[in-house]
Amino acid sequence: MITYLYAVGRDLELPDDGSRGIDGGELRLVDEAGLQAVVSDVEREAFEDLDEHREDLTWLAAVARAHHGVVAAVGRDHAVAPLSLATVYLDDDRVRAVLRESREAFTAVLDRVEGRDEWGVKAYVRPGAGKAAATDRPTSGAAYLRARREALRAGDAAVAAAEREADEVDAALAALAVETRRHPPQDRSLTGRAEQMVLNGAYLVERAGADDLRALVEKLASEGSLDLELTGPWVPYSFAGGAT
Amino acid sequence: MTDRHDHRIEIDKDAVRRDLMKLVLTIVELLRQLMERQAIRRVENSELSEEQEEDLGTALMLLSDAMDELTEQFGLTPADLNLELGPLGPLLPRDR
Repeated sequence: MITYLYAVGRDLELPDDGSRGIDGGELRLVDEAGLQAVVSDVEREAFEDLDEHREDLTWLAAVARAHHGVVAAVGRDHAVAPLSLATVYLDDDRVRAVLRESREAFTAVLDRVEGRDEWGVKAYVRPGAGKAAATDRPTSGAAYLRARREALRAGDAAVAAAEREADEVDAALAALAVETRRHPPQDRSLTGRAEQMVLNGAYLVERAGADDLRALVEKLASEGSLDLELTGPWVPYSFAGGAT
Repeated sequence: MTDRHDHRIEIDKDAVRRDLMKLVLTIVELLRQLMERQAIRRVENSELSEEQEEDLGTALMLLSDAMDELTEQFGLTPADLNLELGPLGPLLPRDR
């Protein structure tokens, strides 16, 4: 058995809602240097050759679900620095060593996320935007080429305009946020939506500012031409980098 | 028993035919779009005489119609005629 590390925090308590770790493993706290790590035991073999498992989507999905479940349960009442998926150490002593060595980095992350939540805002090009109205069938070859040229230009211009608007939305949201991250827009195969994504932003917002954020997103969506999707509050995954 | 067996082979044959047609149409569609863009570029650069422009445009228009018909005939949509190239994104632009 090896030790799987989910999240690090201060004055942490284990969730009392019966949450269990990967493969139903029992959650434990490892205490060191004023920090607590939430861990559970996992089979060594499963994590030893990770590359092999990366292809096994069922296994990965189960691990990811368990990981996020534990992080969300622990993060409900406490500021936590979530670790990336499949962070494992040989034993609890190694975890203690990491807590000692990276104490400053963990503390910095915890100070940053304390009392704040991560929110995600995704913006999609509204369907039909920039599409020229259905024109009559061109009457000549030259007219066809002209119409195609206009259509291609209009498409390019619509995407460019949507990207500009996404920048403005990002800037407006950033004014409410303590910190922001812009992730690359996701591909349609991932979002399952036909519309193109032009903004995939994460915003670290004071817990008291959640209502303001909701109102702002609604306002931006009704005034602008993009479809906005607000998700959250999340455990601040996007802002926990740099600790390990 | 034999009937069911034959039936199953029939379905497989159809699926193979359809998949092959899809692949062929995808490649034709890629070439069609490239030719169309090339033609538009040449018009923009005034490389073509009026007559050439008209002929090229008509040919491309007919090709586009033929593609639409064929796609429909095989029960495909324009979105089906696209290949995911992983990190390179889709083979064809999504909105044509």
